[in-house]
Amino acid sequence: MLEQLNWKHNNFSKDPLLSCALEGVTNVLAGIKDVCIVIHSPQGCAATVNSSYDQHEVDFTNRKLACTRLFERDIILGATQKLEDMIKQADATYQSKIIFVVGTCAADIIGEDIEAVCRMLQPDMKARLIPIQAGGFRGNSYEGIGMGLAALIPIIKPSHMKINNSVNLISVQANCNPTWWADLEWVKETLEKLDVYIQTVFTHETEISQIEEAGVAGANILLSHEGSFAFSKNLEELHKIPLLLSDLPFPVGFINTARWLKRLGEHFHKEQEVEELIHREEKRITDILRKRALMMIPRYRNCRIALSADSTIGISIVRMLFEELEMIPELLIFKHCPESARRILEEELSSMKLSPKVVWEADGYQIKKALESVTVDMIIGSSWEKYIGEELGIKVIVDAFEPSNREVYVNESYFGYDGMLHLLQVFANDWERAFRSKHISFEKYTAKCGE
Amino acid sequence: MSIEENVVFSGKLSTLYQMAKEGKIKTTLQGSHTRACKFWTAMKILSGLHNTIVIAHGPSGCAYGVKKAYKLTNSRNSGSPYEAVLTTNIEMKNIVYGGEKELVGAIKEIEKKYNPDIIVIATSCATGIIGDNVDDIINSISDSVSAEMLVIHCEGFSGEYRSGFDLVFRQLVKLMNPPTPEVKERLKHSVNIVGGKMGPERTEVDTDVKELVRLVEGMGAKVHSIIAADCSLKELKEAPSVAVNCALCMDIGYALGKEMEEVFRTPMNSTILPYGIKATESWLLQAAKYLHMEEEAKAFMAEEYESVRVEYEASKKKLEGKIGLIEGHDAVKSLSIAHMLEKDFGMRPIIYNFHPWSTEARETSIDYLLEAKMDPEILITKGTLAFGKYESMKQTEEELLEFLGGIDENCVVYFGSSLSFPNIPLVDLNAILNRPRFGYRGALKVAECINKSFDYSYRPRSTLAKKMVFPEKSGLTSLSSLTQKLSQDMPDCTMYGKGGGRGRCLNS
Repeated sequence: MLEQLNWKHNNFSKDPLLSCALEGVTNVLAGIKDVCIVIHSPQGCAATVNSSYDQHEVDFTNRKLACTRLFERDIILGATQKLEDMIKQADATYQSKIIFVVGTCAADIIGEDIEAVCRMLQPDMKARLIPIQAGGFRGNSYEGIGMGLAALIPIIKPSHMKINNSVNLISVQANCNPTWWADLEWVKETLEKLDVYIQTVFTHETEISQIEEAGVAGANILLSHEGSFAFSKNLEELHKIPLLLSDLPFPVGFINTARWLKRLGEHFHKEQEVEELIHREEKRITDILRKRALMMIPRYRNCRIALSADSTIGISIVRMLFEELEMIPELLIFKHCPESARRILEEELSSMKLSPKVVWEADGYQIKKALESVTVDMIIGSSWEKYIGEELGIKVIVDAFEPSNREVYVNESYFGYDGMLHLLQVFANDWERAFRSKHISFEKYTAKCGE
Repeated sequence: MSIEENVVFSGKLSTLYQMAKEGKIKTTLQGSHTRACKFWTAMKILSGLHNTIVIAHGPSGCAYGVKKAYKLTNSRNSGSPYEAVLTTNIEMKNIVYGGEKELVGAIKEIEKKYNPDIIVIATSCATGIIGDNVDDIINSISDSVSAEMLVIHCEGFSGEYRSGFDLVFRQLVKLMNPPTPEVKERLKHSVNIVGGKMGPERTEVDTDVKELVRLVEGMGAKVHSIIAADCSLKELKEAPSVAVNCALCMDIGYALGKEMEEVFRTPMNSTILPYGIKATESWLLQAAKYLHMEEEAKAFMAEEYESVRVEYEASKKKLEGKIGLIEGHDAVKSLSIAHMLEKDFGMRPIIYNFHPWSTEARETSIDYLLEAKMDPEILITKGTLAFGKYESMKQTEEELLEFLGGIDENCVVYFGSSLSFPNIPLVDLNAILNRPRFGYRGALKVAECINKSFDYSYRPRSTLAKKMVFPEKSGLTSLSSLTQKLSQDMPDCTMYGKGGGRGRCLNS
């Protein structure tokens, strides 16, 4: 049974750890190649779209963005003409295949009919226009990812023909690994080893044509628990594409990676290949870790930890921490955790006979109060937890998740076998840093030398 | 195409200013050139208040974005503990029924949870449009709330980006007490530095503001408060009693200084940014006049000058008569650098691609320069005004190279971002190691930077660096070009960005 933590005085005032729906929507759009985003909004919201491009590491030469820059006059009188002009200008300048016309809070509330504008302009446009109302008040950024994915459904062509050994990968970006696209790469490489063809990635560096053809995939695989379950169900109903692996944690650590791979092998009748892969990779990683064993094993054994993450990584990592590193999870904090994911966590904890304290849908205040309520040696979290934990005097703080202080130049997966190494490398560096002397007492020793 | 065909404007600042006023040159930013909105700039100032909780009355995204950009950055760079920025988390039902219950509930909770000195209610687009009567709501509960409350109407659509700075500065005056003889006596040798923003100074960087504090203290005065970079309610309350408000520049701090002058008759010392010795001395002497410390100031100034004299004069000698081409992305800074180059180094400044939009946004600074008989040359090329491109984008880069033509690299220096690649010596004053830039030490630092760039002008710019910024197949791009990096006074990509923790150098 989980001990769920709640506090008074936190019903109306949230210190948010998630952005708004607009960011989620544009996060999906920014993962599509060669699209233009026209945002019908005051200029500040364009920073949110940029943030989504940042999420995909789209460099400045590949961003096509235009903003109507709404001001007071536009709010009072409407700004349809402004929007039309901006769409025409963007169409002429950027030469994109698709222009997504996105309405934010301001346009959404004053009732700008962006659908009608798109419909009216379409005959004269080179690009296909797709309207999306994405007022920030429509939800948090994960819910926005769901909205963004839903906007892609009309693009997907119906197909009776299915390629059995092919999959769509869904909601790849809703993952707190700062280089989440490395997790996507690991999944793609693994599927390729099993001769499974990747039809469409929703969305990262995705071609429009791939989205159009997503209906031919033989199966869907979610790569996140956040904001994408409804989309995958939609694909199941509309395009008869079954969803795989949705009841399992993601492949973080040896045991969960093996579970995930075995299930994959069963579906695609590649059991033998999967067994060999697991054996080979576990041996390779164990050989590497053996050289660090003297430091690693005593360091982590029975170390009491608080974990703060999204549900994608958070739920999946618990088994590795408890069963493989022999840590003791005292507190689990989730900044977002949908019902479907909670069930997976409950099953995980039950099977490990664990009953840590849990905070669902945490905000900054709850993180601090939750950390105050436990005695832990180590926090595994992001920069939020780093600073909150430092204030509370917690000795070891692992800054592994987004937003992170770490500079990562070479992509680091958290999924799979190398992913385990990447995580352990972050743990080790932050652990070592915590116990290193911060200052050399030059004055003291210089004085002694001079005496 | 020849350079003449690419030039949109070439002439004096005064001419551009006049043309803008008469509507003869377009002063609006392109739709591909967005800046932060009023909400963000308002929050940047509010982030500098101690023990203050800002509640963004709106959806979560508004609070989340500024919290991450400002508060996490302050924790990382400036030694601040983590500070919350709250949201009323306005949802669809509130858009229909209003968010009064959420706002009142939030304020009551904040008092219990954080016990702040000040609660700031910042409105967002959503609550501004639905018409939540925030002022009335706050008035109705003010008796039951012990914190000071301040309402900031900073909906993103309600003004150009910098209007948020001015709005908050003017509102902060409401928290101040009128001067009293006792406090005035205590603070008679103190100044406020007005125009600070975001939070405390970086602990590990020799910043410009730290240099100003050192200079003020060096002449025997004290800094009462840096508003609103790192100030408390107590400091704000007593702030009008200081001898003088020293604005950081004619732009950002001017609104606060002016408001305090009008409401409390607190004198204001407002000059251009103290780049160079001339501007620094003007800044110090004006402050000293109100502090009645002219003699102390002069003695200190002589001492400061002496400490840099030998190296400074040697550097300066090499610069006289040369041309300084200054990137105009940051309007106030480019004007201040022009002032320094002309008045201190005897150079000929030309400001390159000063967006006509800036003539409206930076009126006070331009007026000051023109009154001081400074009227630098301005060159604007088509790339600056093109949709989809901005500043250091490929078009302006090519136009710059064309403008420079076969110019003698020993007679021109370019002041701009290292992400530009003109075929002449380049000085990037935003680089973290080139600080402080204010004051005597700053003047020496700048002179040394210029000479260093001349000394190594024989070295071609790195092919790697060029390819990083201008890839061979770069196409049409948009506002997310290099704008932020080039225009912000943020050395070395220090802001928190989204994504992979890679410094966001080109992406933020």
